[in-house]
Amino acid sequence: MGIIFGKKKPPSRVTEQDKAVLQLKQQRDKLKLYQKKIELALNKDREVAKQLINKGQKERAKLLLKKKRYQEQLLLKTDAQLENLEKLTHDIEFAQVEVQVVEGLKKGNEALKQVNESLNIEDIENILQETRESVDKQNEINELLSGKLTDEDEEAVEKRIGRHH
Amino acid sequence: MSEVEIDWPWQYSFPPFFTLQPHPETRHKQVAAWKSLILAYCQKTKTYIIDVREATQFSLFNNSAINRKLEHNVIVSILSELQKTGNAAAVDKAKNRWEIYWHTLEEWASMIYEYVSNSGMQNTVLTLYELVHGENSNGEEFNGMQQEVLLKVLKVLERERKCEVIVEDDMQGAKFF
Repeated sequence: MGIIFGKKKPPSRVTEQDKAVLQLKQQRDKLKLYQKKIELALNKDREVAKQLINKGQKERAKLLLKKKRYQEQLLLKTDAQLENLEKLTHDIEFAQVEVQVVEGLKKGNEALKQVNESLNIEDIENILQETRESVDKQNEINELLSGKLTDEDEEAVEKRIGRHH
Repeated sequence: MSEVEIDWPWQYSFPPFFTLQPHPETRHKQVAAWKSLILAYCQKTKTYIIDVREATQFSLFNNSAINRKLEHNVIVSILSELQKTGNAAAVDKAKNRWEIYWHTLEEWASMIYEYVSNSGMQNTVLTLYELVHGENSNGEEFNGMQQEVLLKVLKVLERERKCEVIVEDDMQGAKFF
């Protein structure tokens, strides 16, 4: 049974995956502590073995060396297990990232869809139509005006010619 | 208690320092000096908890060189002063066990949160163990912090919605945001 983080607080932001990852990390911590313990024992044994050899107790030193090799094997095994744990942890964390990316894409797509829906095709056609009509009208006006100006220009020119005569 | 190199202030070798002074102004300075000394000592030795009943074991309260030690009730009253500034807290009713916060809980909270942000660990879960005992936090001041103090610090971050503590069965960790 978990502890309920509801009470008067907002809902928990801790997911089941988070708890799974946390458990993995607890296991990893335990393994690391175990390794530390073995390393300490190894170091101690190394010292004791040296002393035994100095005292000429070769047989006992040999036994100790066997124990030391066994412990080193254990260390290697726990290293391998640690690697597995860490890989699994990373995989879960990455999977969570992927889920977030997919969520993001989903939301982005929905937003795009909504924007597109608000752009009604008919409305766009109407707008384009109006624009075309406005442009046509403008061209008419332009031609009229250009026509008019040319006439005026002609008059002005004729006037001037008239003066020099 | 393991001995660390402490730079004792001059008052430490001054016998009257260990007796509560009657004169108000002197007492005020004395208490202030004790408050700083206690915090500095705890910071240097990474002492998070002081049990007043074992005070004589601390060179802090017991200067054997001048054969002076601070009385139990004086220690408690100085610690109570520290409590007012958020630098200490009694954890039992009898006021025997005290947590010392040479950084206030809020300061610790910022430090831990900064460390988490800088290490890119937001949005991940961490075990309490790896937070204060892991290899990554070796250079940090909060490395080795006692669990009870750590939980209080994390509660501060929780109130700021920067983390959520997860304590369940075999698990003790926190998720940072």
